[in-house]
Amino acid sequence: MIQLEEVEKVYRTDKIETLALSRCNLQVREGEFIAVMGPSGSGKSTLLNLIGLLDEPTKGRIMLNGSAIASFRDKQLARLRNEYIGFIFQSFHLINDLSVVDNVEIPLLYRRMSNGERRRLALAALERVGLTSRVHHFPSQLSGGQQQRVAIARAIVGKPKVLLADEPTGNLDSHMGDEIMSILFDLNRNENTTVVMVTHDPRLGEMAGRIVRLFDGRQVN
Amino acid sequence: MIKHLFKLVWNRKRSNLLLMFEIFFSFIVLVAVMTLAAYYQDNYRRPLGFVYESVWNIGIDMNAATNDVWSAEMVSTTQQLFLALQDFPEIESACGALSTPYGLGARQSVNEFKGRRVEMEVNEVTDTFLQTLNLQLLAGRWFDQTDDASNWKPVVINQRLSRELFGHDDPIGRPFEPWSSPGEEVRVIGVISDFRRDGEFVGPGNYLFERKRLDDPRHRPPANLLIKVRPGTNVTFEERLAARLQAVAREWSFEIRPLTRMREVAMKLRLVPVILLGLIAAFLMIMVGLGLVGVLWQNVTQRTKEIGLRRAKGATAAAIHQQILGETLVLTSLGVVLGLILVVQFPLLDLISSVSVTVYARGVLLALLVLYGLTLAASLYPSWLATKVRPAQALHYE
Amino acid sequence: MLKNYLKIAIKVLLRRKFFTLISLFGISFTLVVLMLVSALLDHAFGPLPPEVRTDRTLGIYTVRMLLTNNFERTGPAPYWFLDRYVRTLATPERVSLYSTQRSVAAYVAGEKHSLFLKRTDGEFWNILDFQFLEGGPFTAADEREANFVAVINQATAELFFKGQPAVGRTIAVDGQRFRVAGVVPNVPIFRVTSFADVWVPLSTAKSNGYLRESTGSFLALLLARHPGDLPKIKEELQTTLARVEFPDAREYSRVITAAETLFESVARGLFGSDRDARNYAGYLLGLLLGLAVLFMLLPAINLINLNVSRILERASEIGVRKAFGASSGTLVGQFVVENVLLTLIGGAIGFVASLFLLNALTGSGLIQYAHFQMNYRIFLYGLAAALFFGLFSGVYPAWKMSRLHPVDALRGQSL
Repeated sequence: MIQLEEVEKVYRTDKIETLALSRCNLQVREGEFIAVMGPSGSGKSTLLNLIGLLDEPTKGRIMLNGSAIASFRDKQLARLRNEYIGFIFQSFHLINDLSVVDNVEIPLLYRRMSNGERRRLALAALERVGLTSRVHHFPSQLSGGQQQRVAIARAIVGKPKVLLADEPTGNLDSHMGDEIMSILFDLNRNENTTVVMVTHDPRLGEMAGRIVRLFDGRQVN
Repeated sequence: MIKHLFKLVWNRKRSNLLLMFEIFFSFIVLVAVMTLAAYYQDNYRRPLGFVYESVWNIGIDMNAATNDVWSAEMVSTTQQLFLALQDFPEIESACGALSTPYGLGARQSVNEFKGRRVEMEVNEVTDTFLQTLNLQLLAGRWFDQTDDASNWKPVVINQRLSRELFGHDDPIGRPFEPWSSPGEEVRVIGVISDFRRDGEFVGPGNYLFERKRLDDPRHRPPANLLIKVRPGTNVTFEERLAARLQAVAREWSFEIRPLTRMREVAMKLRLVPVILLGLIAAFLMIMVGLGLVGVLWQNVTQRTKEIGLRRAKGATAAAIHQQILGETLVLTSLGVVLGLILVVQFPLLDLISSVSVTVYARGVLLALLVLYGLTLAASLYPSWLATKVRPAQALHYE
Repeated sequence: MLKNYLKIAIKVLLRRKFFTLISLFGISFTLVVLMLVSALLDHAFGPLPPEVRTDRTLGIYTVRMLLTNNFERTGPAPYWFLDRYVRTLATPERVSLYSTQRSVAAYVAGEKHSLFLKRTDGEFWNILDFQFLEGGPFTAADEREANFVAVINQATAELFFKGQPAVGRTIAVDGQRFRVAGVVPNVPIFRVTSFADVWVPLSTAKSNGYLRESTGSFLALLLARHPGDLPKIKEELQTTLARVEFPDAREYSRVITAAETLFESVARGLFGSDRDARNYAGYLLGLLLGLAVLFMLLPAINLINLNVSRILERASEIGVRKAFGASSGTLVGQFVVENVLLTLIGGAIGFVASLFLLNALTGSGLIQYAHFQMNYRIFLYGLAAALFFGLFSGVYPAWKMSRLHPVDALRGQSL
């Protein structure tokens, strides 16, 4: 469903040019669980951002369901991100000014639906991650594991086809990390959600269906 | 150190640009207000040239069809009015004039003289004007009955006009060249110190008096009578006076006002624009102050790390304090320099001829003082806040 | 969606209380000034008793007389012109002639008081809607027969009669004696048309010189049968002007004027240097709006500055919203709504402050007989100003925020 062809990404600042990703080819098929591995600075996050349509490649092209995303405008990209993709970040990125349930509702704000429906879907997603008792708390009142579960609820509330997780367990202890991983595997197995996860924990990598290894911006297989 | 401060301001130029524009803009307005204030202050301390206390003005409206034509009847009615005034023991002296101190409307005259433009205000007054208003005669004499017979026209001028036309020469008896022509000769018979009819706030100007005769039907009857009353005369006299005047001239309307009251009104009228401008400037100052406080405060919170680092490297609280104040000063100065470049153009291009360069410089200086005072005051709280940053706490952020 | 925006907005405002306070102070202070100015303008130009039929009345406030020697005279009209060419217009239902008010002296118990005296005809009282507290107006017959009768305002009645009934008693002003016919409420000094302390018939003037005066001090008030007639009246006056004959044709060549509202007259006085009677109200309105915008410029720049410098603080939120499907347009919408909310709060504070200030201004007696009241027009001006301010100062920071690249925003790096 998502295909990267000869994708290259260069970051430019005033003085330095950094090649973050070089000639990357990758096919993400529906229902897969892919782990992206490599040392830090190898381009893992760049790859994930490209798959997540947050960034555009410097060269090469990204195809989504057979059409090149370069032809899409900001509004269409926003809509694709909203419907197709759910993000989970290492540092959670919850909005501290909003309660748990308000945070989870964010993806639904950009869809046409009633407030009641939005609330119902958000509560269902929170139930899915086992956080029904904390819906009106604020992120600062939760533990790290709980915060990441809220972030997962936010990522799945819109029923996306693909979940993109950037080191989701990176800021958590192993017990909490396992809890998060079991939720991701459960989503992959039982709801056929495609998962692309960046990690440098080999233990987690081995649990995935496929591993993409990066080194210095290049794919090594 | 200064170079370092400039660098900091420059690197944050985008967020500082709007603030610099604000400072520039309010500096210009401040210069306008302060120059006006300095101009008024400068004018206020100059001698007025006449005494307004216990002088009353009687404005006459003849209810005539036009103002340009007068009849012999009007002239004789005016004479009767003067006779009536003599009956009152309260009146020390009375005179007639075309325009009156602190009053609106006056005759202006612009002449070519030796290739220069000479502007002056002209008044037509009777012989008793000098004593009624206590003008100071510096040279020559005032109008009197000896002028009745002369075949030339006598004028009295103020010192400023005398200087402008005759330099340091004695003007007495000399022809008043701007007006003099063969067949109709005009001669200067006296010089007075000054007659600043518009009052204390208005700058000095040239003045000229012509003689008005009440008994000559060729002379237009005066529009104003000025009377000097004895000390202690009160308003009940005003009512009696009004009734008496009305009895003499039934078809005319009179408006009796002490010059002190006319002065109050005139001063207020002059002050209103200054006050309005001042209010606008105050509003701008408040806005600039608020903006500065906000931006500096934001800077401090965003730069907690930087400040912490400086503290860790041995900067004292006073040094941090000075740094924030210094940055504000640099920012203000950039806006002010832009403003000064514009402000200096005005005297250079001679756009404000009535204000002398010294007065203008004083206004600019005042504006600078106010602006720097304001920006320093606005930076006090944020810079105090910055000194409160503890090095350990700041570096912990990462 | 909007609810979510508002929640966030309020949270953001509360998080940085000091900022919010600064911004709110700037906004409400500016809006107070704007609302006070619009209240003053409304007091001078808006409908206010006794001038309540504004949709049907026009006036002739100034005329420009061109002289044969290329000079011109601008000011109130001479009597003969209004009497001969305006009174005779066919379209208006009623036409009234009245003088400018003159300051005159009145002596009460040995003390001098300055009063404003206006001379009018009988129609004046039929066009304007004075609510008589006592007695009634003088009539066209009084004017014809030069009866010395007067209508006085409440303050003058109080001055002369100290709360006693005034009608039928006599007052002496400007050396003339008048019998009081009626007492009306005080009219604010701003109202060029209706303001005075004492109103007396035109014909009681000390001399009848005014009938032949070439430059005058008279104005006219025209009442249309219905609002749709106003353009017709304007037109009829213009065609009439073409055939004006001057008593002294050697001196005067043409007269230019228009039947207009006071606002239009002021606009024409400011902008109408051309020798025509065009309607310049749009120019004046534009000038006032321009000044208002200029006035809002500095506080708006402050707000923009503060908002822009807060982008960094909200980078994470922006990144998340973009990642979850907010387009740049949506984000602009959100931040503009936030800013508008802030300005509306500022507007509300400003509104309350203006209420107090207007009351204080009325109470201070600084402006003679002024009675400022908040009305729906001033409220709407204030609301419009607040909204404009919010949009004006919100769009640029919002656009800048929406331009933030999501990848950078989520990485939490500096811009």
